[in-house]
Amino acid sequence: MKPITEAANRLDFEDKITGAARYCADIRMEGMLFAKTLRATVARAWIRAIHIPPLPSGMAVIDWRDIPGKNAVPIVTDDQPFLAENCVNYVGEPILLAVGPDRAETASFIRQIVVEYEERKPILTLEEAMGRDGDFISGNQPWFASYGYDKGDLEGAMRRAARCVADTFTTGYQEQAYLEPQGMVASFEDGVITVRGSMQCPYYIVDALKNALGWETDRIRVIQLPTGGGFGGKEEYPSIPAVHAALAAIKTGKPVQLVFDRKEDILCTTKRHPSQITIKSYLDAEGNILARDIDVAADGGAYAGLSSVVLQRMIYSIGGVYRVENLRIHGRVYATNKAVSGAFRGFGGPQAFFAMETHMEHIARQTGMDSVQLRQRHFLRQEDSTSTGGHLRSPVPLHEMTDLALRLSDYYRKREQPNTDSGKLRGIGCSVFFHGCGFTGSGEQDLIRPRVRLRKDVDGIVHVLASSAEIGQGAMTTLSKIVARTLSIPLSQVRYEYPDTKVCPDSGPTVASRSVLVVGKLLLQAGLEMKKRWSEKAFETEARFTYPKGFSWDKENHQGDAYLEYSWGANVVEVELDPVTCDYKIKGVWAVYDAGTPIDKKIVAGQVEGGMAQGLGYGGMENLEYADGKPVQVSFTDYILPTSLDLPPVTFRLVDNESVLGPYGARGLGELTLVGAAPALAAAIENATGRPVNRLPLTPEYLLEVMNGG
Amino acid sequence: MAVAVYPRNLAEALRILEIQSPLVLAGGTDLMVKRAGTYPDECPVMYIGNLPELRQISRQGEELRVGAACTFTELLASPLLPDYLRVPLAQIASPAIRNAATIGGNLCNASPAADALPMLYALDAHFILVSAAGECRMPVRDFFLGPGKTMLAAGQLLAEIRIPIREGWRCIYRKVGMRRANSLSKLSFYALSDCAGGRLQDIRIAFGAVAPTVVRSREAEMKILSGLPVEEIILMYNGLIKPIDDARSSSRYRREACIRLLKQYLQS
Ligand SMILES: Cc1cc2nc3c(=O)[nH]c(=O)nc-3n(C[C@H](O)[C@H](O)[C@H](O)COP(=O)(O)OP(=O)(O)OC[C@H]3O[C@@H](n4cnc5c(N)ncnc54)[C@H](O)[C@@H]3O)c2cc1C
Repeated sequence: MKPITEAANRLDFEDKITGAARYCADIRMEGMLFAKTLRATVARAWIRAIHIPPLPSGMAVIDWRDIPGKNAVPIVTDDQPFLAENCVNYVGEPILLAVGPDRAETASFIRQIVVEYEERKPILTLEEAMGRDGDFISGNQPWFASYGYDKGDLEGAMRRAARCVADTFTTGYQEQAYLEPQGMVASFEDGVITVRGSMQCPYYIVDALKNALGWETDRIRVIQLPTGGGFGGKEEYPSIPAVHAALAAIKTGKPVQLVFDRKEDILCTTKRHPSQITIKSYLDAEGNILARDIDVAADGGAYAGLSSVVLQRMIYSIGGVYRVENLRIHGRVYATNKAVSGAFRGFGGPQAFFAMETHMEHIARQTGMDSVQLRQRHFLRQEDSTSTGGHLRSPVPLHEMTDLALRLSDYYRKREQPNTDSGKLRGIGCSVFFHGCGFTGSGEQDLIRPRVRLRKDVDGIVHVLASSAEIGQGAMTTLSKIVARTLSIPLSQVRYEYPDTKVCPDSGPTVASRSVLVVGKLLLQAGLEMKKRWSEKAFETEARFTYPKGFSWDKENHQGDAYLEYSWGANVVEVELDPVTCDYKIKGVWAVYDAGTPIDKKIVAGQVEGGMAQGLGYGGMENLEYADGKPVQVSFTDYILPTSLDLPPVTFRLVDNESVLGPYGARGLGELTLVGAAPALAAAIENATGRPVNRLPLTPEYLLEVMNGG
Repeated sequence: MAVAVYPRNLAEALRILEIQSPLVLAGGTDLMVKRAGTYPDECPVMYIGNLPELRQISRQGEELRVGAACTFTELLASPLLPDYLRVPLAQIASPAIRNAATIGGNLCNASPAADALPMLYALDAHFILVSAAGECRMPVRDFFLGPGKTMLAAGQLLAEIRIPIREGWRCIYRKVGMRRANSLSKLSFYALSDCAGGRLQDIRIAFGAVAPTVVRSREAEMKILSGLPVEEIILMYNGLIKPIDDARSSSRYRREACIRLLKQYLQS
C-alpha cells in the first residue's frame, strides 16, 4: 500500500470540474419561489411602522410573527433574533422576507416596502463602545464577554524588571469572500422541513430550526449541497437564511430558494473581529522577558454570536510561542451597531499573533537585540506549561522549524544587507506561531460530543457517516483516506456523500481545525471495529469521542489544557517597497509547519497556498472599513483579494512530528496556514522601512503615514 | 429579458441607434458588472464588438488610427503601436479581460481611473464620433465632462481614436493599483519626454484618477521646459489635483503619491 500521505484524486473534483456539481443557486424545483430579504438601512432604531403594499397574487411576506418557536438564533446566548421585531441593531439586519415566483418582481416588491424608524444613537466603533457608560446594546455593560487570567506573579516581576516595552496594535475587518454567496433551499413535505444549502455545520442548522420551529428533530432534515468555500463564514451564519427559507416554505407550502447577492452578503454576514491589543513586556537587564501585561479588546458587532469563543482563542493565543512565567491577560469583546463579527479561519488567532510577533520585533528594536534570537531565547519547549498552565506533552520543534525557515529564505543575509538597487526598499521578516486544534478546552467533550458511523453494504462498499462538510478543503477525501487505510481497502471502495442529517450522526461542526484530528480519529476507531468484524456481510460501527486521559480544563478560571493538540509554524516573507508610493510587492514566502503527518500531500499544499494568500491578504490589501454604520467596500471591485500575481510561489516544508492523539499522527492544519502570514509581512515591512508599524491592514495609505512619521 | 441586436456594419448600427436607442455593448467588461436594475429591462442591447469599421488599426502619415472596438489584446499585438501606448495598456486588468475589453468602452465608460485616458490626453489625441447624420472630430480634452459623463450624444458612437505619432517619445506609466492584476487605479501618472540631441525638447504629464477628468496642463509643461524650479512646478500641479476619498483610497494618499511621483520624475 502507498503511504497515506501520497496524493489521492479528490472525491469532490470530478463534479466540480465538469460542472455537474449543483450549487444552491442552480437548484430548480417544481413550483419553487424566490425569497428576498428586507434589511435595516439604519444602524440602530426602533421600528415604528412597516408599510407593505398590497401583495400581488402568488407572493407572501414572512416576518417574526411567522416564527412558531423562539425568535432567537441559538449560538452561545439567545440575543439575536432571526427576524427583527421592534428594533434593529445594524445595517443589514433582516426584518422580513418576501417570496414569489419571479425573482426580479420579488426584489422590486421588497424595494417598495417602507419602514418607519425612530433612530437611536448608534455605537459605531470599538473606541465608542469602550467609552460608553449607558444606553448599551446588550444588557448592562458595553461588552458581551469579559475574561481574565493570571500566571505567576506579575507585580513581583514588574518590581524586578529593568525596563518595560509597551505597544498597542489595531487590526481591521476581514471578509471571508467565499466564491459562492450564502444560499439555502427549503421544502416542506409530509410535515417534514428539509433545508439544503451552502454550509459548514449541518447540525447547527438543525438546532436553529428546532429553536425557531419548536419541532422535534424527526421533522427536521438538513443536507449540505456542494459548497463554494466557507472559511468560517458558513459556520454560524447560515442558520439565519436556513430558518428564513424554512419559514417561507412552511408558510407557502412551496419550495423556497434564498440566495444572497454579493453586496448583500458582504453587508450583512459575519466577518473577522477587528481588535485593539495592548501588550506591556517587562524585561530584566539581560533582555529576558520576565512578565507581560496584556489587554485585548475585540469588536463583536451587534449580537453576541460566537464572540465569546473567539475572545477565548484570542486570549489563549496571545501569549504566543513564548515561555513567560508571569502573565496577566485580560480580554473583552464589545457590542457595536455593525454586522455581527464571527468565525473566520484562525478564529482570533491572526489578531493575537500579529500583535505578539510584532511586539517581539519592537522589543528587539528597542533593546538592540536580534529579533529571532529574542524569540529563540523564549521558545516554549516540551514539558513546559502554557499560559493557561496546560501541559505541552509532545515535542515542540520550534528551534528546528525556525532554523529551517531562515535557511530556506537566506534570512540573515537579506536582513542585514537590504538590497536597495533601483531605489526600492527590500525587507525580510519572520513569525513563529501555533494553532490550538479542536474546540477550546474540554468543549469537544462538554459541548459537541461527536459521533461517527461507518456502514458496510453487502457489496463491500463502506459509507462514511459523519457531518463534516466538504467546503473545498478536501475533508471528503482526507477522511475517506483514513477509513480506507484503516480497513486496508482501496479508496474507491469508500463513499462519502455530502452530509444529510437524516443519515449522518452529529460529528460536530466543520471548524476549528478539528476535522482530521477529532473526526478523523473517530473514523479510525470505527474503522478498527469494522475491520474486526469485516467477514460480516452488512453492518454498522460507531465511535464516540472521549476526553483523553490526563487532560484537564477549568473553564471558569481559564486553567489547564486549552487545546487537545498544538500545530506549530514559522513563516518568512520578503517584500520590496517603493518609497515613493509605499506600494509593495511580495518577493518571497517561506513556511515551515508542524501539523503532524500530512494525510494528503496535495491537499496540504492547497491549504498552505490558500491560507498564505488569505493571510497575506488580511495583512496587506484586504481593507474593509465602515462609514456611518455601513461597510464601504461591498463589491469585489473595492474589496481587494490577492490574485496569483500578488503571491509568489510559497516554498514550504513540513517537519516530521507525529501527533499522539490524531489519526496516523495527523493534526490540524487548515487555520495554521493563515495565522503567521500577516506578522511576517509586518516584520518584513518594518525591516524595509526601518520604522515600526502597529496596524493591519498594511495599506500603502497607512505606510505613507508611517514613512511621514505619523 | 433584454433583446439583443447584432448589426453587421456601421451604417446598420447607426440606423438602429437612431431608431431604437439601444444600450451599446462592446466588450461588456464595464457593463456586465453594473448592478441589476441600472438599465431598464426593456432596453435592447446592441453588440458593436464585431463591426468591421470599428476594428481597424492603421497609420496615416504621422497619425495612428485605432478603431474603437479593438480589444486591448489586439492593440498590444499590433506592430503599429509604439511603446508609449503599449506600456499603459499592458497594465490593464488581466489577459482574460483584455481579450474582451475594448479601448472605446474604456473611453466611453469615462471612469476617471481608466488607464487608456492619461496617455491620450498627453498625446493630444482626437476622437471621431459618428452618427446617422455624419461624423465629427473632437479633441480628447473636450470629450470628457466628468465621471461617467462625456459629450457623446444620443445616436452617436465613438468610431475611432486618432493619435499623433512622434519618434523620440520616452514614456513612463505608474499605475498605483490595489494589487498586481484586475485592479482599478487609485491614481496613475503618465509622462512623456523627448530628449532628442540630449536636450529636453518636449514634455507631457498627465494624472489619472485624481480629479473628475485627467489632469493635464500645457501651461505647466511649458514652465518645466522653461526651467522653472521643481518646487514651483509641484505647487502648480498641487493646485490642479483634486482627489477624493473613496472605497479604494484616500484623497490624502492620492495627492501625496502624485506629488512624490512627479518630484521623482522631474528630478531624474
Ligand atoms: C476585473 C476587471 C478589471 C478591470 N481592470 C481595469 C484596469 O486595470 N484599467 C481600466 O482602465 N479598466 C479596467 N476595467 C474596466 C473595463 O475592463 C475597461 O474600462 C474596458 O476597456 C471597457 O471596455 P468594454 O469594451 O468592455 O466596454 P463595455 O462594457 O462594452 O462598455 C462600456 C461603456 O461604453 C459604451 N461604449 C462602448 N463602446 C462604445 C462606442 N464605440 N461608442 C459609444 N459607446 C460605447 C457602452 O455603452 C458602455 O456604456 C476592468 C474591468 C474588470 C471587470
